[in-house]
Amino acid sequence: MQTLIYGSYILIWPILTLVMLGLIVSAVLRDTREARRNGNELV
Amino acid sequence: MRHTIRYFRINQSARTRNCRVMFRAQSKKSDSVNSELFQFSTTTVLLLMVAFYGGTYLLSRRIKHDANDADGFMVSNHRIGFGMGAASMTATWVWAASFYAAATSGYTYGVSGPLHYGFWGALMILFIYPFGRRFRELAPNAATLGELIHARHGASSQLILAFSNLLGSVISLMVNLTAAGALVSVLSPLSFQAGIVIAGLGVLSYTFYSGFRASVFTDFAQLIAMMAIAVVIIPAVLFAMGGPSVVVDNLSNLTSEQANLFSKEAFLHQGAPYFVAVLAYAIGNQTISQRLFAVDESHIKPTFITATISYGAIVIGLGMIGLMALTVGIEPLDGNMNNLIPQMVSTYLPPFFIGLFFILVIGSLSSTADSDLSALSAIMMADVYGKNIAKNRADPRKMLIIGRTTMIVATVLGMILASMSFDILVMLVFVGALWGAIVFPVIASCFWDRVTNAAFTWAVVAALLAFSVVRFELLPMTGALALGMELLAAIGAGVVAGLMTFGFFGKRLGVLAFFIATAVIGWIGAGQLREYTVLLSSLTAYGVSTLVCIAISLASSERFDFDTIQQRVSDYNKPAEDDVPEGTLTAR
Repeated sequence: MQTLIYGSYILIWPILTLVMLGLIVSAVLRDTREARRNGNELV
Repeated sequence: MRHTIRYFRINQSARTRNCRVMFRAQSKKSDSVNSELFQFSTTTVLLLMVAFYGGTYLLSRRIKHDANDADGFMVSNHRIGFGMGAASMTATWVWAASFYAAATSGYTYGVSGPLHYGFWGALMILFIYPFGRRFRELAPNAATLGELIHARHGASSQLILAFSNLLGSVISLMVNLTAAGALVSVLSPLSFQAGIVIAGLGVLSYTFYSGFRASVFTDFAQLIAMMAIAVVIIPAVLFAMGGPSVVVDNLSNLTSEQANLFSKEAFLHQGAPYFVAVLAYAIGNQTISQRLFAVDESHIKPTFITATISYGAIVIGLGMIGLMALTVGIEPLDGNMNNLIPQMVSTYLPPFFIGLFFILVIGSLSSTADSDLSALSAIMMADVYGKNIAKNRADPRKMLIIGRTTMIVATVLGMILASMSFDILVMLVFVGALWGAIVFPVIASCFWDRVTNAAFTWAVVAALLAFSVVRFELLPMTGALALGMELLAAIGAGVVAGLMTFGFFGKRLGVLAFFIATAVIGWIGAGQLREYTVLLSSLTAYGVSTLVCIAISLASSERFDFDTIQQRVSDYNKPAEDDVPEGTLTAR
């Protein structure tokens, strides 16, 4: 049980990083599509 | 703040020596399990850096250039999307020190250590959000927070803020270049200075033409690389050393405080001083306010929340490597905590992962360094030239020349200071005090129409004086003087709590939080706070600046019309329509 708790405590952060990575990438793809559609620059 | 100072102190005093010792140590076997550090050949390191900076430069060339677009150079188009904004905010806030300091915290304070570094650091981003929305509402076309303060008060208050921003960014640039030199000299036969020069020129190359736009655009690619590497490296180290069971089996190596998730020691030594600095960092850092003014207004909230979580996840995660090192009994090479992560990666993972770690650090320091260059150029373009030399009749072409010249000068200055191992401790302490002293006057100026230019300026001056008396022990901290300072510090603690609560929950709860925190800290801290000089001096700066600012403001009958700010802070690409003399006030 302790192994599970400590393992989760350490590994939750890379998992959370992965989730945020996915969120940011998908948001940028959305930004890119929107910018193209409106004829704007991404930045 | 104290923690950051500690990092700088370690970094400043030991970095070159330690790097060389580590380099020599690579051929030795010591008693500890981690005495060997992998070393790349000169060719490999040069190829890695050329690939990184070359790729980043090519990315930046995809940005379209407009020879007269001064606003784009400083804040893009004020409509940066959620994804790019969050990526840039996160990449900027994660710098090389984040990894080293989080791992140090994990190694020193155990289970709760990484949280006490990463969590409070993440909150710095979150806590500027409510105030940021107000800044943006008042001055939607601003490029710097100084412009808003200039429109609100005039030159003296604005230049105080701009000066603190300038110092902060120069220090940050120097530290990031230092980290590059240290990394290169640790992992290759190249010298410390060679690493500094390559990183400095690399960052300048891709930021020079497009300024802030290049910084934001490349931040995204750099952050993706950083996050992907963090996702791989943390579990790779854990399972390479035997998995979570090894951590549990070695918990006996931890003291009871280190094994405690709610360690009082970790909070008092790591978390609390950092917590006090949260607002000061957020207000004093132009790199954050520059992004605040650049992100599409409707996306400010999700951008800041995403950046907060992303920063926390990356930094706390890498801090766990320090905890792992503690459990398995790793001793940092030459006693230098900055060596912990390279040691763990070298000890447990193959060279490919060390290459990933190399890119991780280069990416983090470059994304922050390019933001510093963009921040410095924006301050010189808008705060110095635009508001004080051209007086709202700025020529965009001249602004761009000033911005790019600033970048060159700042890079050269950063490289020289980093190469000389210049002792920045006093400068850093001073900047921290300055940032603490301006927090209340800046925030109050944006919400309360009675704050005057004199109130702002004298509040900062008085706070700096009080800070110096305490921090440098100009007078003996005993008797009535010490008690008085402790009571001022208790008021400072109340101000911090009150402002944070005010930002999210409004005036009533903010005032309530102020009184509760002041009473609690006054009760606990009287007779005790004098033992913690750094904490006492920081809190005193908050308390004094608040009291002086309120007292002088209340003595004045002037009222400020906030609607005039928007007219006075306009885009530079078109001439300002309104040329109202600075600091104009209306009497009610």
